[in-house]
Amino acid sequence: MRGRRNRKSAAAFVLAAILPVVLLVLSLNIGAYRIPPKAVWSTIIDAVVPGGTAEASPYADILFRIRLPRLLLALFAGAALAVSGASLQAIFRNPLVFEFSLGISYGAAFGAAMSLVFLGRKVPPQAAAFVFAIAAVLAVLLIAGKAASQIVTILLSGVIVSALFQALLSLVELFANPYALQSLIFWLMGSLGQATWDDLALTLPVIGVGVTALILLRWRLNVLSLGDDEARALGVDVRREKMLVIGLAALTTASATAVTGVISWIGLIVPHLVRMAVGADNRKVVPLSAAAGASLLLVADDIVRTAASFEIPIGILTSVVGIPLFIVLLKRSGKVWL
Amino acid sequence: MKIRVDRLAFSYEAFTLCVPSLTFADAKVTAVVGPNGAGKSTLLKCLAAVHPPPKGTVFVNGQDLSALPGKSRARLVGYVPQEPAFTFNYAVLGFVLTGRAAFIPALASPGRHDLEAAREALRFVGLDGFEERPFFELSSGERRLVLIARTLAQQSEILLLDEPTTFLDPRHESEIMELVRRLAVEKGKTVVVTLHALDMAVKYADEMVFLKGGAVVAAGPPLQVLDERLLRAVYDIDMGLVDVGGRRLIVR
Repeated sequence: MRGRRNRKSAAAFVLAAILPVVLLVLSLNIGAYRIPPKAVWSTIIDAVVPGGTAEASPYADILFRIRLPRLLLALFAGAALAVSGASLQAIFRNPLVFEFSLGISYGAAFGAAMSLVFLGRKVPPQAAAFVFAIAAVLAVLLIAGKAASQIVTILLSGVIVSALFQALLSLVELFANPYALQSLIFWLMGSLGQATWDDLALTLPVIGVGVTALILLRWRLNVLSLGDDEARALGVDVRREKMLVIGLAALTTASATAVTGVISWIGLIVPHLVRMAVGADNRKVVPLSAAAGASLLLVADDIVRTAASFEIPIGILTSVVGIPLFIVLLKRSGKVWL
Repeated sequence: MKIRVDRLAFSYEAFTLCVPSLTFADAKVTAVVGPNGAGKSTLLKCLAAVHPPPKGTVFVNGQDLSALPGKSRARLVGYVPQEPAFTFNYAVLGFVLTGRAAFIPALASPGRHDLEAAREALRFVGLDGFEERPFFELSSGERRLVLIARTLAQQSEILLLDEPTTFLDPRHESEIMELVRRLAVEKGKTVVVTLHALDMAVKYADEMVFLKGGAVVAAGPPLQVLDERLLRAVYDIDMGLVDVGGRRLIVR
């Protein structure tokens, strides 16, 4: 049994290392504008190998200025949402907690909308999103108070705070001019299509740092998931480390949300799928969630880019697929894979 | 290591635990007994500094426990809670490894040395071969052993065990108490254990502390302090004592 489980984990880690890269290369082939696969390959090889073929590929602009930033954003945002979800579930000892149930997502969305509509991006949307994401999660913790480890209390507080920020978001929409409103609504539904290298220059490093830090904290999450009294008796500064994890989760989620809009359910579904495959140990769950979240969002984006003649907002797809999955998980909760 | 409690007071709601002065002997088993709500678990949590007491001091070898940073405290004092409600179903070895938290920086994971300490702890409690078993699939007795193993992996000189035998059948109850004795005798640990089973306390403890209503009623070696008047005073029912073959039995 031990051997089987170890082999399974080893296979999962190998897959996690390879899958996002393979999917990235394959996804470069997919898009509204059809590029022959051979041309895609030669363009990639030209870019990677210095002095490959002399003449510049006519497809280089589409591949590297339009597709590549979008695909990288999908990978990073997927990893950010999944890793934040896994970390928050551990420290709240609650498998149903994720960015949404703590108000982080709509707090971030409100902050980014404020920046886009009223400040003309003078304050970067990422920064505004982070400030309000932290405000939202602190509000949830304040409302939940001492009962924060109880599932119902934290979910209820999260619902209240999310509702408040959704209302504030509607208020922003009300005051936005028609042109800004249109792009705001499309962004809110979740889309990776607006990614430019300028946006990513700030977003990707921040997500990279946040996700890396949470992956490094993976074993600590096991300790924190035992409960406050227990972790304290084991010598952990519980308050400080929990705030660190919450801050990192809010930072990564807010950075992603500021560019992609609201993409739901990744943070809940992915860690659960990973736990079903390899067990509850966060030393495995957190890094594997990063790879799985990245891969899943990339594939979801490939689907919305190609499934219809128009682009389906990715937030709608993740909800339509995520909610039935969530119901199945809820029915199964209490089983050993939790 | 010796524990000395000085003018300890802890209150929540209507309950107050008040211990003017109390010592726990080095490398001995001390059983804390008393009726429900007497403050046994509260005393233990104060000793573990899980709840810092609003008043008073707990000294370990003359050092004020609350003045120590968490890591140093955890290396002195290990705490085994009553069977806690865990959310995640970790494997036994992964669970025991969390006892190493005081030795591992926040951004690091356990290394080979930590794994050895965890495996050694599992061997000592007799659970070798259980490494990869999911915690939720264990019996109540096995779970208690895992909790004790985790505190052993913590390598603290003092072990505080909160009702480790509650809900166990007589055989598992005896096994846990044998293990508690071995911790003091073989490993030289100072063990404080809260118990409801008086017969277990009399048989396995070097010292007993009787608590009632948040106050210490009596303390000392079982055969010296235990008499019918004390039992009546602590538990409000009549119990008889019979000495048979050098052992003192409690009869109801």
